[in-house]
Amino acid sequence: MQVLRGFLWLLAGLLFGQSVVPWLPVALPAGVVGMLALTLVFALRGGIDADVAAVSQPLIGMLALLIMPGVVEIFFVAGRFADQAGAILVALLVGTLASVASTLWLLKQCLPAEPAARDVEEAT
Amino acid sequence: MTPPLFASLAKLPTLWFQTPIASIALTLAAYFLGVRVFKLLGRPNWCPAMLIAALFIAAVIALLPVGIDDYKTGAAWLMLLLGPATVALAVPLYQQLGQIRALWKPIVMTLPLSATLAACYALVIAWAMGAPLNVLASLAPKSVTSPIALSLTEELGGSTALLMGSLMLTGLTAIFAVEWLCRLMAIRDHRLIGLALGINGHALGTVRAFEISHQAGAFASLGMSLTGVFTAIVLPVAWHLLF
Repeated sequence: MQVLRGFLWLLAGLLFGQSVVPWLPVALPAGVVGMLALTLVFALRGGIDADVAAVSQPLIGMLALLIMPGVVEIFFVAGRFADQAGAILVALLVGTLASVASTLWLLKQCLPAEPAARDVEEAT
Repeated sequence: MTPPLFASLAKLPTLWFQTPIASIALTLAAYFLGVRVFKLLGRPNWCPAMLIAALFIAAVIALLPVGIDDYKTGAAWLMLLLGPATVALAVPLYQQLGQIRALWKPIVMTLPLSATLAACYALVIAWAMGAPLNVLASLAPKSVTSPIALSLTEELGGSTALLMGSLMLTGLTAIFAVEWLCRLMAIRDHRLIGLALGINGHALGTVRAFEISHQAGAFASLGMSLTGVFTAIVLPVAWHLLF
């Protein structure tokens, strides 16, 4: 029951997002607007609703599963982009590597050090 | 002549895929199989459970007398949950609101530039290598979470299938690059690791960040959301100015 109540909260957030999106000057997805609105609701109420907390953890864990059906199609249409495969692969691999390096460098320069930084390997 | 029993059995897959049930069952089965194979392989970074599962689904569809469109129509019911799942990111976002408030200045200074670079590097490389406009439009939102990226690529005139493939490859590369470069640059701050995963690796990076720690996951959610919002605002304007 708690999970269903939490899910209803998420649907309400999504419906709110869908209602607001047509009025926005940019094409933002309803989910992102709903997420920002729900964060604001939590901030106004001074805490997270237990029902939402109960449903959010498993749903966030499912994000990769929810993207998967969209990924499958590329195996069937890859031939259409065969002549561009080199450019696409180099752009994605080198481009992402370069952007991660830039992001880490920028964040390292600008983010103040955390008092108790932990090692990545500890948690992995 | 084909016996009637075999003829009826051969028609079963077509019958199954007339409703979304078969697509949903196939996706869930592939997911669990992907997770199991991923564990058996020793959790390799280069081959996540999602890739194994997607390959399994593609193989099953290729073997059965059904098309990718039949699968996609059914699986759309499962993908509907992407909306509530995006709203659910409000929980980790709220939990780190104190940290975010304290760090708003460095975040505002770094995030727009990082999000811009995430798109620009790939676009410049692909453009220099002679990629046509529809390919560029499919690569531009490669670091953005899929609900935003899908609407962006449609607006720019790209291919959604190529975009989804790009999203997967970008997510995997970002996870590998963050872990490798963090070791190289001696970065151990989970906030920084989370932000880098969220900004560059969208939902896949965020899922990985939650495996590292709750703090990394919350910062990845923040990085992913802000990159999405920023790109959704800036990319269409920049695109129409450039092309």
